[in-house]
Amino acid sequence: MRDSGCDGNQPETQNSTSPLMGEDGWGVAASADPKIKRALKVPQLRMTGRGLWISALIVPPLCFVALFIVYPIVSAFAYAFFDWQGLKRLDFVGLENFHTVLFVEPYRSWTINAFKNNVIVFFALMVLQNGLGFILAYALWRELPGARFHRIAVFLPVVLSTIIVAYLFKLFYHPLFGVVNITLKGIGLGWLAQPWLGQSGTALGSIIVAQAWHMVGFPTLVFLAGMQRIPSEILDAVRMETESEWVKITKIVWPLVAPSATIVFTLLFVGAFNWFELPYIMGGLDGSPFGSTDVLGLYFYRTAFGNVSSGQQDFGLGSALAVIIFIFIAIVAGVITTRLRAREIQL
Amino acid sequence: MARLSLRGIKKRFKTTDVLHGIDLEIGDREFVVFVGPSGCGKSTLLRLIAGLDPISDGDFFLNDQRMNDVAPSRRGIAMVFQSYALYPHMDVYENMAFGARLMGLSKDEVEKRIADAARMLRLDELLKRKPRELSGGQRQRVAIGRALVRKPDVFLLDEPLSNLDAALRSDVRLEIAKLHRDIGGTMIYVTHDQVEAMTLADKIVVMNAGRIEQVGSPRELYETPANTFVATFIGSPRMALVDVTRDGERLGVTNGGSIATGALPAGQTYKLGLRPDAVKLAKGHGGEGFSASVVYTEYLGDNAYVYVRLADGTLVSARTAPNDLYAPDEAVTVTVEPGSAHYFSAEDGRRLAP
Repeated sequence: MRDSGCDGNQPETQNSTSPLMGEDGWGVAASADPKIKRALKVPQLRMTGRGLWISALIVPPLCFVALFIVYPIVSAFAYAFFDWQGLKRLDFVGLENFHTVLFVEPYRSWTINAFKNNVIVFFALMVLQNGLGFILAYALWRELPGARFHRIAVFLPVVLSTIIVAYLFKLFYHPLFGVVNITLKGIGLGWLAQPWLGQSGTALGSIIVAQAWHMVGFPTLVFLAGMQRIPSEILDAVRMETESEWVKITKIVWPLVAPSATIVFTLLFVGAFNWFELPYIMGGLDGSPFGSTDVLGLYFYRTAFGNVSSGQQDFGLGSALAVIIFIFIAIVAGVITTRLRAREIQL
Repeated sequence: MARLSLRGIKKRFKTTDVLHGIDLEIGDREFVVFVGPSGCGKSTLLRLIAGLDPISDGDFFLNDQRMNDVAPSRRGIAMVFQSYALYPHMDVYENMAFGARLMGLSKDEVEKRIADAARMLRLDELLKRKPRELSGGQRQRVAIGRALVRKPDVFLLDEPLSNLDAALRSDVRLEIAKLHRDIGGTMIYVTHDQVEAMTLADKIVVMNAGRIEQVGSPRELYETPANTFVATFIGSPRMALVDVTRDGERLGVTNGGSIATGALPAGQTYKLGLRPDAVKLAKGHGGEGFSASVVYTEYLGDNAYVYVRLADGTLVSARTAPNDLYAPDEAVTVTVEPGSAHYFSAEDGRRLAP
């Protein structure tokens, strides 16, 4: 890469009579011979040992990405414009599928319901996962007693498989034998014990709590890394001016960890609207009970591939949904990123 | 008005004692410099005064009020940090306004103070700039400005010049001296550079290994150092210490001749302290004085320093006229200006009065 970097500089320097360029021979040769000049103008990767080595490293993952990510996305775009019968592609129907999932009942209310739940998930996790993550990171950073232990403890659930977390919390929430209800009864709050996953009012919230528990270590880690980049003298300087933790956090720490916030917010947004595993295992493919845990991921899966109770499949509608979700996520994530980037500060 | 009184201040980090009982009185409007080698505890002491680290033992009074448990922001103390520690996300104006607003000052008052500070420190043009758009010297001035707008009783400056290049350093040093004259607050300044200490201070506190070695004016420290540490720390090139034995009115070096220096303190053996300007050189051996050989010469234009080695191996520097030329290994004889030598105890290095 050093070669191409050097070549990239050529157009600016070769025509000027920069003494630096003249001295080392490159500039002289480039301006003397137009052939070499043309050759140098385009940064190119020659098939030397180094170039081969770089290609050998880049090509396999590129193929992988093309085959399993780019191709499915592109084909989903294509599928969305056709009518399907099982795996058999029928006629081109234009925007019919999009129209159906957005405006024709019962798809319309299913879409709205799932989207509404995703929005709830996003905001709830923003508070529970990122908010708590920031507070945890701050506590860990301030080296409160036990910080060493908790630094590991907080991150540990992140390495657990989502499947394990989902089944674990399903057991926790079990109406009769679950640790949640048993604990509530044990401490005299038996009237709060309820079938957490079995009623519309509490199911989604219960799954969100499981998700937050699982992933809170990630924003914590990113925020903590951001905080550790703040020079200690800046904190000393703040302490000379105020003792209020609130002022320190809101006016100094928070603005200075903005780069971490950008990453964490964007990833949370993408994750919340692609949410699938936890509701799939804990709420089931139908988003039970009564669609209260239905999210776009489940809804898309059900529409495209069918569910347990009905084998009805519709690739066209499913693909249309997938495309809508993709575009929505891409646009909003793009806006979030550029907006948040603007407030990042170089330390 | 600010008088500081430190009584038996100790600082312990886990099991390591960093400060072993500091007693110090600092008067109103004094410019005090803590000076000492790296790790002597001078910055730690400053942080204790600021309140950034808790005091392990002893009492700190500011205007007769015990400050040990008072939060840093409530001590009426402002600090200028070595790295300046400006808030990177705020412009110069905001950097200065932040602390002032937190003091609960009115908007007009904040604005007036910033305008005053900006004028005094020539920051008017820079108020809308972010710290990363400023040069080192400008950042330094903003850091001082941020301290100024709070109108503190005490200014603490922690090695404020060490991140500046040499040329800028003497300029800023002058500005700090002028600033102290203009605003008249009590200033405590930490440095390891004895030139900064000598040029700025009303009072220098020389520290070593967690203890105060001596407190005094620059002149006192230079002319009557309390012990060999202070004697060798203050002054450049450093004072030479020669182990001598008394023989009547004469002082002799092992195998290296003897000199008469005038009145002598009691005792048999001393360390004889010689500053470069107290030493006279004569070419050749023999005659009155210590015999020595030239090691090397530093030519500085208006004068020169000649380093010579005595018979017992001690290196002594002598200030000479720039035209006196000495070749390496040349034999010379060292004599001492009467009355300009210092005497220290051979056992504990304390100053001995003649």
